[in-house]
Amino acid sequence: MRTYFRNVYRSLITILIGMRQTWRHLFTPSVTLQYPHEKWDLPVGTRQQLFVNIDDCIGCYKCARICPVDCIYIDTVKAKPDEDLGKASTGNPIRQHVVRFDIDMFKCCYCNFCTTVCPTDCIYMTDKYETSVYDRSNGIYHFSKYAPDYAAKLIVDEKEAEAAKAAARAAAKEKAMAAKKAKVAE
Amino acid sequence: MFNNIFKKQRYYFDSEGLLVVDMSPSSAVHYQEAVQAATQDAGFSGEDMVINFGPQHPSTHGVLRLEVVLEGELVKKVTPHLGYLHRNFEKHAEYIPYNEIVPYTDRLDYLAAMNMNLGYVLAVEKLLGLTELPERVEYIRVICAEFNRIASHLMAIGTFGLDAGAITPFLWAFRDREKILDLFEWLSGARMLYNYIWVGGVARDLPDGWVEKAKEFLDYFEPMMVEFNNLLTHNHIFIERTAHIGILPADVAINYAATGPVLRGSGVKWDLRRDQPYSIYDRFEFDIPVGEGMYGPVGSAFDRYWVRIREIEESVKILRQALDQIPEGDVFEAIPRKIRPPAGKEAYFRSEAPRGEIGFYIRSNGSDIPDRVKCRSSCFVNISLIDEISRGQLVADLVINIGSIDIVLGEVDR
Ligand code: SF4
Ligand code: SF4
Repeated sequence: MRTYFRNVYRSLITILIGMRQTWRHLFTPSVTLQYPHEKWDLPVGTRQQLFVNIDDCIGCYKCARICPVDCIYIDTVKAKPDEDLGKASTGNPIRQHVVRFDIDMFKCCYCNFCTTVCPTDCIYMTDKYETSVYDRSNGIYHFSKYAPDYAAKLIVDEKEAEAAKAAARAAAKEKAMAAKKAKVAE
Repeated sequence: MFNNIFKKQRYYFDSEGLLVVDMSPSSAVHYQEAVQAATQDAGFSGEDMVINFGPQHPSTHGVLRLEVVLEGELVKKVTPHLGYLHRNFEKHAEYIPYNEIVPYTDRLDYLAAMNMNLGYVLAVEKLLGLTELPERVEYIRVICAEFNRIASHLMAIGTFGLDAGAITPFLWAFRDREKILDLFEWLSGARMLYNYIWVGGVARDLPDGWVEKAKEFLDYFEPMMVEFNNLLTHNHIFIERTAHIGILPADVAINYAATGPVLRGSGVKWDLRRDQPYSIYDRFEFDIPVGEGMYGPVGSAFDRYWVRIREIEESVKILRQALDQIPEGDVFEAIPRKIRPPAGKEAYFRSEAPRGEIGFYIRSNGSDIPDRVKCRSSCFVNISLIDEISRGQLVADLVINIGSIDIVLGEVDR
């Protein structure tokens, strides 16, 4: 019986102590932010949506290689010897056309590795985070500056050039073989 | 029904076979005693009922499925079923280079990602034989780990209160945890999955003014903890609710290899930060809180909760020392360019994460990709205790027991 009343007494007292705390907090401003209407400030260097300044990209594949989830897709076409693609703003010469630079932001785990390895600092994280889309395919961001048909043409050109080179090499080999044979026959 | 009251029996079964405990003032008995009396009584009739608790259940703290055998309201047996959040960490780690595994370790215990980073990174450093790190790196690591311990324990005690029916403390704990996450976001750019501690260093140096802001936070936080204790910890109803259930004796805890607050709640003073100091923990002064059984038997759910509360205070102590002592220096100088441990070398390293010991075993095959990575997860071990501590108790206590073990399913399933 005594325990019972002691329990009741203690419960009441401790609840009152707690209530005093909540009562005090009633008069402090609320910490809740009404999200879509109010937004908090993001610090410098926050890690949200990726962005690539493709004019500076030298197509070195470093970012694609270090990505732990392999969500950066890059295709490059070597520039022709007489072509000058200029330099990135950091001074690194650009030697290839980056015909495809896609990032699958659904696979990205926002680990920030790609931005730390980039030699020209052209891939970086922005402070944009409201990037929901209605379709999975919209989560793949295309950064290449080449129009698809021009990119396709560049790829075909490169393939043709390579094929021509290979053919030339084969022809040269054949010639050499023929010369050898001729020598042996002599 | 009247018969029972006249017989002064403290419990009886109603017409549907449910256990009813007489809580009227005249009986004046602790309901737990009544429940125990009921268990001992062999007069149980009715069949066992097997119910699935989870995987989608708000009080299982994730996607845990418990197969519970019930006899009326009493739990006879609990079998945890795992694997709903299995992401293949160990196998995946065999395909990616050492440094790229760090973001995957974030996702083990996502409430204490810094501690997971630290555990893995220290294992790799042991494998590489990398012992000389810049002082500043060591201090930053300890500061991050301790801040994350506070954040993780705040989550644990908040949700524990929620399991017992207290909603306000949960929101208060989240309010303060949010401030720590803000600090981390400023530091690393991310709020939860930091990928901050790297092999041989850290990803970024502390921003200007971070140390001052961190100290400011500690000044703000300590009074908040007092308020929190007034609100929840010293609440008599909460104590009565939790101090008599989920009893875990020390020998059982040791036999099950329980670690962290679960082990310390049973009165065993074992903390790797003190007993096997890694990083620079041997330089700081702090206590190892253990369960004292203030309101009931030692090793109760309340004791585990109490250990967490006290650990937050100890972490604040460590943080104050570390933030005062932190030296200047370059944090990137020791980051190795290539991580290629010699073939066949292996290393196991364990460290104290908020939920217990996290251990990483790594074997090298000479390339930059590990041959095998094994993660010893504390939550996985601790959840196996759920049957031991909930047997013979009510279903409502089972929920509190899960909360008192404080599991994170990301780490249980890996
Ligand atoms: S942030 Fe990480 S996951 Fe995302 S694209 Fe960069 S390297 Fe890949
Ligand atoms: S690392 Fe930078 S420069 Fe190299 S391919 Fe990626 S974005 Fe382009």
